Amino acid sequence: MQHAVELEELGMRITEASHFLEKAEEQLSRRVIGQHDVIRRIFIAMLVNGHVLLEGVPGLAKTLIIRTFAAAMNLKFQRIQFTPDMLPADLIGTMIYNPKDLEFYPRKGPVFANVILADEINRSPAKVQSALLEAMQERQVTIGTQTFPLQEPFLVLATQNPIEHEGTYVLPEAQVDRFMMKVLVDYPSYDEELEIMLQSATNAKPAPIVPVVQSDDIARARALIDLIYVDPRVQRYIVDLVVASRKPAQYGIPSLEAMIEYGASPRASIFLLLASKAHAFLQHRAYITPEDVKAIAYDTLRHRIRPGYEAEADNIKPDDIIRQILQHVQVP
Amino acid sequence: MVTVSAYPDAAEGAVSAITVAVTPDTVLVGDRIHCTIAVRHSADVVVALEGIDSLSVQPFELINRKQVSALVFPGTRQERFDFELAVFGRGRQSIPPFTVVLRNSEGKVINREACKPSRAVFVRALTDSTMRELRPIKPPLKPMIPLLLLLPVVLGVFGIAGFVLLLLFLLKRSVRTSAEKVDPGQVAQRKLRKLGSRLSAGMPPPECYEELSNIMRTFLEKHYRIRALEAVTQEIERDLKKLGVAGFESIMNLLAQADLVKFADSRPDAEESRQSLRKAEELIRSARIPHSPEE
Repeated sequence: MQHAVELEELGMRITEASHFLEKAEEQLSRRVIGQHDVIRRIFIAMLVNGHVLLEGVPGLAKTLIIRTFAAAMNLKFQRIQFTPDMLPADLIGTMIYNPKDLEFYPRKGPVFANVILADEINRSPAKVQSALLEAMQERQVTIGTQTFPLQEPFLVLATQNPIEHEGTYVLPEAQVDRFMMKVLVDYPSYDEELEIMLQSATNAKPAPIVPVVQSDDIARARALIDLIYVDPRVQRYIVDLVVASRKPAQYGIPSLEAMIEYGASPRASIFLLLASKAHAFLQHRAYITPEDVKAIAYDTLRHRIRPGYEAEADNIKPDDIIRQILQHVQVP
Repeated sequence: MVTVSAYPDAAEGAVSAITVAVTPDTVLVGDRIHCTIAVRHSADVVVALEGIDSLSVQPFELINRKQVSALVFPGTRQERFDFELAVFGRGRQSIPPFTVVLRNSEGKVINREACKPSRAVFVRALTDSTMRELRPIKPPLKPMIPLLLLLPVVLGVFGIAGFVLLLLFLLKRSVRTSAEKVDPGQVAQRKLRKLGSRLSAGMPPPECYEELSNIMRTFLEKHYRIRALEAVTQEIERDLKKLGVAGFESIMNLLAQADLVKFADSRPDAEESRQSLRKAEELIRSARIPHSPEE
């Protein structure tokens, strides 16, 4: 097993390089109870330059997770509360006139940070959403005539509430597609709830968060992720999953044909591969297995599959469709 | 037409009555008539007719003859002679005279009674002067196939169809039963042996491992009735744990080794592949279906 030796070496380097994530996770666990999957998804997005849309009812510690994450990762954090009267300038910045020297100077907006929490992104109008999504895609912002690159890493974590839709501006599919993952934040378990209650119902200051990440840790991790081996079988498996969301009958799921209005875009394949690599990295592995793909398939595909009218009538959610796809597409 | 000759006393060796009936009384030439001669006599004698056989001369032809004897009342019997005669000639044709012969029990003739029937049959020619136009020629009748002849054919067709359906049903059932009887373990072992032969013939070890993984997954799916072909190794591990399969760790080691070859570009040599094949055969041989908790 010659090649395995090389991958084993890479695996050891990955284990070493991913050590900072374990430390960060430890710091996060001092403030956040449970929500391990959400935290892992945020790590994945950070490792492969993606952005995350978090969906969950209020009070599930979404903001706390992100704030603590930024603190533990030693990253600059900005929270932007999206409101209906917001303007793009409130987000990206604007040109300010200086009467002393009769010149305009750019004033950078809150988007110039490493970790952006776009709280309740669907409460602001389309032009503000577009401004943010453009920044996410281009990783640069133009104020006036000057273009400013955004800092690296640049991670946008947007939240939206699934139950209140009055006075909201639903994100268009094209813009939702730019998020690498859509993570559903669920209620904590009974024991976790008990622990949260005991930890939070106090006047004492919360445990301080110690930054545990060096400046080049993330860059090194990203470089190693690029070296992770992806076998052609796994590559084809990823493409099979995405194509099955468009042409389910070809994969022995004709019942899904009427359930899907449109399937996942090619961006889904790209992000599925990237996220699988990051997942393998978190497992200290130098190669991807179908387990990695399956593990992040729901988060990567659920906002890219639009259920059709029949699915909505039968209360079939994108997750149900993905489950069927995963059950029918043969694993290599 | 009936002719009765009555005799006042029906003493021993005497005839009490002779009746002659002919139907029909008018026929076309060549048609048949029925002539019945009934003779009442004392019960101790035997009656025979003479001269009636000569009816086979012109214009009659004897076709059939039948004799029935019956006791009319105590001491008196009636002999009934039925003749079927074909009639020829033309015009009025008298029934020819005949003689009633009486014999005692020893066969000795004790009496002879000559009888000349007064009635006759009128025979019409096929063409005669009364005809003013040609008789319409009737179209020849198509030979009718009697229903009784058709019935066996219909029943036969239905019978054959039913038999074929029964055969198909039995065939399908036997195929299904035999498919159910096929032991997935045996199938997997046969495939593994073939794989071993192909490996010896120069099959690249990575391909061997890929096929080995497929064989194992198919076996697990059929043997333990779990979804293995669409499941990743971790999911198979979870299912086997849930089922309480003894020695599932060895199965998982084998699958993990195959995963390394498939996904981590690991390149085992032929000897390693052979060892894995042997291991797989052992695992399949020792596999038992776990008992459910209810059992």
